[in-house]
Amino acid sequence: MVYPPHHRQIVEELMSGKFLLSNEEHFNSLRENEAFYTEFFKVSFDLDLHLKTEYAFLLSKETQENFSRDVSIFIAILSYELDKDGRNFMEALDFHEFTMEEVDRYFENSSFIDLIESNKTLRDQDSRRTLINGMARRNIVVKNFEDRFSFTEAYKVFVDFAKELAIKRMAQDTAVNQN
Amino acid sequence: MIKAEPRTILTFLYNYFEVVRDLFEFQTHDGIITREDFDHICQKHGPNIKNRLREYRIIRPVGSDYEMRDVYFKMMEFLLLEFKPLLPETIEKYKGAITELFLKIRKGEAADRDILQERIKNLSRQVREFVDLVERNAFRLLNETRDLKSNIDRIEYKDKVHKASFWIEYYILPLNKILDVNHSESVTNKLVEVSEYANRRRLDFADESVRLEFEKLYIQLIQTNTDLLRQSKILTNELLPLLERIRTESLILTGWIEFLRNPYKVETPPLLKGSRTMVYAKDMLYKVREFFEQFQQNEAIVFEDDTADFDKWIFDRDLFKSRLQEQLPVNDFFNWCVKMLAKDFKEIETEKFFAMTGLLFDEDLSIEFPKKNERTTIMTTMSKISVPKLKVEPALKIR
Repeated sequence: MVYPPHHRQIVEELMSGKFLLSNEEHFNSLRENEAFYTEFFKVSFDLDLHLKTEYAFLLSKETQENFSRDVSIFIAILSYELDKDGRNFMEALDFHEFTMEEVDRYFENSSFIDLIESNKTLRDQDSRRTLINGMARRNIVVKNFEDRFSFTEAYKVFVDFAKELAIKRMAQDTAVNQN
Repeated sequence: MIKAEPRTILTFLYNYFEVVRDLFEFQTHDGIITREDFDHICQKHGPNIKNRLREYRIIRPVGSDYEMRDVYFKMMEFLLLEFKPLLPETIEKYKGAITELFLKIRKGEAADRDILQERIKNLSRQVREFVDLVERNAFRLLNETRDLKSNIDRIEYKDKVHKASFWIEYYILPLNKILDVNHSESVTNKLVEVSEYANRRRLDFADESVRLEFEKLYIQLIQTNTDLLRQSKILTNELLPLLERIRTESLILTGWIEFLRNPYKVETPPLLKGSRTMVYAKDMLYKVREFFEQFQQNEAIVFEDDTADFDKWIFDRDLFKSRLQEQLPVNDFFNWCVKMLAKDFKEIETEKFFAMTGLLFDEDLSIEFPKKNERTTIMTTMSKISVPKLKVEPALKIR
């Protein structure tokens, strides 16, 4: 049997929880062989492949994944603080290069300080750096220098999650009001 | 008086938490629990529950209706983080209480020691209550303003501005005035004054037990100052610019605000947990081979004692001496040794070679050194030895 080009790299990276990005060479091979990989991951590991225009990743049924929650809280607070600062947070997530110092400033002056201090991956500068390194390993951010990073397209998974949550809550609210 | 043990009351609260929460919600909403609501809440749990609620002093009758007692109401507020926003006037009253106690402490320094200590303790309690109220109010205001920002009800911008202006005018600005340390009339300013006084007195007051009370008060006020500064920062950064902040609206931000209300109760994107056993591990082939090879070994393995393999060769001096004497004269003694050993062994060990060289010291032999620097190289298992070419002859015997 002949496997698609970069097969091993695709499987290795996706199985390690990494996002594949559209600017990577092996992403094209994945996109061209979408049907094969969707079936491959489903049949072999019972995992769902999510392939978007800009990124791809595997979805797990494992609900004990704290990393996703920590990243969600991180992006949520950062977005909130950027907005409070009068900045367009979507533009910043898309194009801005963040410095660790800037992130620390936002988190240390946040009104969500109780939540931040109670979360061991966000509570201080070192823990936040560890989280950002973890995000870099999964291709959610790319580290430009030791103390600078930008978000990759993968952050949109979390933004979509926020959007869906808002829609769900608004629908619930409307239902309650109608009753 | 309550007959029940404290633990019994807590168990009751644990078992009937829903009932107490419903009572709390009615009280929060209507300010009172009507008889109809009370009956409705209790009917599912049997007639006994009403008696228990009264016996444990959780509720008390008000005319024909009921109300939750303050201590339980505050506990439920705290547990559910549902604080009612207080008008800053309610908080400001602490300024009066604190100022009055402070004045009495200063004037009554020379008075009875016990009453002085009691006043210091009371002042400390007032400060604690004040900080607690400020924190609860700021928390509630934050929630209210985040609601406005999130705008889950999708109210019109005009209504949002109206609401925001209301919060700012009646709650946020007055609270800011209370916390503004630069304002001479603020409670925070008064606390700074008390703190400076307590700092002096904890060092120079004559009575030791009073000094200790001042010390405790001073330490408490340092922490209070930090806590109030944090609340003041929230007011300045987040609550005062509210009108500016509600101008923009985003569905994503609404989602984030909703998520941050309780991030541990919402299911986040189910990312794949990176597995440690990679399907294409680099050393997979070797691991698999190692795994299968362990079952291939069928022969019985016999372990022998190390000593059994010991080389028992012992140098037989007489034998080699007689052989040497038979072949005399020998032109290259060391080479001869090697030849002799080579007959019995494939490889020559250094130890055996050295044992053979011991023959040189025999009195029946005469040794002659080469005139030139002629040398022979001997190769043993461990070494390469360079030795002179020695000629061995029978020794001349003088009679």
